Amino acid sequence: MALESKPERVDVCIIGAGASGAAAAKVLTERGVRVVALERGPWRTRETFGGDELANVNRYNLWPDPLLNPRTVRTSAEEDPRVELFCPVPQMVGGGTVHWQGWLPRFIEDDFRMRSIVGEVDGATLADWPISYAELEPYYDAVEWAFGVSGQAGANAFESPRSRGYPCPPMPLSRYAQKFHDGCGKLGLNAFPTPQAALSRPYNGRPATVVSAFAQQHGDPTGTRSSALNVFIPNAVATGRYDLRPECYVREITVDEQGRAKGAVYQNAQGEAYEQEADVVILACGAVESARLLLLSQSSRFPNGLANGSDLVGRNATFHEYSSAIGIFDDPIYAWAGGGYVSASTFEFYRHDESRGFASGGHVAAAGVGIPLPINWGLPDQPTWGAEAKRYDREFFNHSMAVSMVVHDMPRHDNRVELDDGVVDAWGLPVARITLTPHRNDLDQGRFLIDRCAEIMEAAEATKVDRVYMQRVTGNCSHQHGTTRMGDDPETSVLNRWCRAHEVDNLYSVDGGPFPTATGANPTLTIMANAWRVAEHIASARGGQE
Amino acid sequence: MFFDAHQRETVEAAMARIIPTDDLPGAREAGAIEFLDRYLSGIDFVYAKPDGSGFETLEGKRADAWHQRIDRLRATYMEGVQELDRASSAAFGAEFARLDPEQQDRVLAQVERPSAGSESGLQEAKVTSGYGAPVEPALQQTSAEIDLDFFPLLCQHTRQGFYADPIYGGNVDRIGWQVIGFPGPTSLAEVHAGRYSTLAYFAQGQTDSEVEANSGA
Repeated sequence: MALESKPERVDVCIIGAGASGAAAAKVLTERGVRVVALERGPWRTRETFGGDELANVNRYNLWPDPLLNPRTVRTSAEEDPRVELFCPVPQMVGGGTVHWQGWLPRFIEDDFRMRSIVGEVDGATLADWPISYAELEPYYDAVEWAFGVSGQAGANAFESPRSRGYPCPPMPLSRYAQKFHDGCGKLGLNAFPTPQAALSRPYNGRPATVVSAFAQQHGDPTGTRSSALNVFIPNAVATGRYDLRPECYVREITVDEQGRAKGAVYQNAQGEAYEQEADVVILACGAVESARLLLLSQSSRFPNGLANGSDLVGRNATFHEYSSAIGIFDDPIYAWAGGGYVSASTFEFYRHDESRGFASGGHVAAAGVGIPLPINWGLPDQPTWGAEAKRYDREFFNHSMAVSMVVHDMPRHDNRVELDDGVVDAWGLPVARITLTPHRNDLDQGRFLIDRCAEIMEAAEATKVDRVYMQRVTGNCSHQHGTTRMGDDPETSVLNRWCRAHEVDNLYSVDGGPFPTATGANPTLTIMANAWRVAEHIASARGGQE
Repeated sequence: MFFDAHQRETVEAAMARIIPTDDLPGAREAGAIEFLDRYLSGIDFVYAKPDGSGFETLEGKRADAWHQRIDRLRATYMEGVQELDRASSAAFGAEFARLDPEQQDRVLAQVERPSAGSESGLQEAKVTSGYGAPVEPALQQTSAEIDLDFFPLLCQHTRQGFYADPIYGGNVDRIGWQVIGFPGPTSLAEVHAGRYSTLAYFAQGQTDSEVEANSGA
């Protein structure tokens, strides 16, 4: 591909402007570093978002279109991969935070040393993190206060020490959260308001969040939710040092004669190709796409992909799995109000407990049934059509809710992201192929958690409860981690504790890829906190201003 | 519009069995057929403008993808209508639209489960119905409707025509929402302007100031 004239060299080039890329950009630019961001998707403003379930949930208005951005998936190397939109995340400025409802629990101290706590798990590659909760705590605090997270410090009996409380009180109490609190109360379980990326009151010059029914999986036309798009991007732009280029699709990270990252070759919306050179390159594409970009970046120095001399890029991939028990209540609970995820949580089943017979645990919380809006709502035993299907809609739409869990899936050496050798995307590049066999531990843990979910609703006097056990890992959380594992040993990790490639000393990755373990909690707060930590380290190393 | 008169009549009749009219309106009264026919007409009605002022114009790769998708869906429907008539003629000696509702239900059940009677056939039918057809709760995965067979696709589109925002041509006068008690916005513009709040459906006992702080207006 012929390259157009070279853009001016820059201090730092960040690939991606989602949660992690925007967080890193904010921190770097505010400390005087000049940043070029290359984002493959559009830069959409709040005026382009709306309360349209059909467009947003069913027609790829925000989700990637699988005809343009397919992926393939298989359960083992012996199987033929099938085309499937596995673990999608919106590809646009703001990334997944554009359409999230934003549950933002912190991880706890144990999460950073799961290998030490649990020991060896057969068939898994459990590892401690090279960093501790205490090292990350100041950055959790920084993100929470930048966003104005609504929550209640101390309400989660299992949370690790915090330097201060949440900037905003919890969001209003939904009826489905109330059922959850009721059930937990009767069972003697600790429950707490789910910390959320929304403003329960005006904060930092921003108005309180509008509590619409169109939140989870919808963009925010009011601009009042907290997201990378609404907070970090404006912060970075305000510095005058953030050159954000949307619709610029990076196909390769180039290297110089010394094997250091030289720049990023990308194609803009007009199809013109450029090479953006930078002192430092930061990957922030999400764990799947960052691994794919490294694997696409082949050179004589790195024939198997950049920073992949260890053959670890793409391995140890983890995706969580989200599943639920579904309950019916006599009284209306309107589990679509607020978008279905203004919720209550428990960490009672989060920490590792040897007596359960499996490793680790997960976050359990109240929610609507899936996307609890009319088109996409449905119950596990509901017929697809006919009078009986309609009766379900009429009688249960306002009377149903879920208590759901996030499985802490075990990392495995052979669960991995690679380049597919047959399928290409609309730009002609090989797509990500995911090979994934769930560990026995994932299924056992999932079953245990779903049973606990069900008991909470039974205690809250649900008239009927269905348990939907996870059967496999489908990528339905949009959470993705592990593909560029961080660690102290170059033999067993891709990145060091600063998320810098062991093999390339000016190349970083700051999405979920560095996570050695998935943990059982929603990852984006930790992704942003870690990106903040790494960005601050890079700025300090450059002698940037405080 | 895409369907010819016979196709339209046939699909509308099938939709009326998928969400039937009882003491409250069904797919026929909601205009689900209008929703579907407009969707299949091309790529001019894929995305409403978020303020409800019209529809987006698609360009570039996005437009290419939607042309491809609509072509596939059209083919599925054309074959599907023929299949319905074939099955109807074989079972009852008349085209689908001419059958009475009970006969139509029997034909649809057969189309839904081609190998009806065998347990594996039933399982297969359930698996292919996928997202939106509520065999398992929709979680957070987006749909892939072009992979669906005719009948699950029709069920999904019937549901969309019954419950999608009225701007898409179905859910006339928000009939679908009224049937299930969903107090959706009066228009897309209400949501776009931040005037649509659901706080009234939260737990009781919240202070007025909390409600005021989060109600937008």
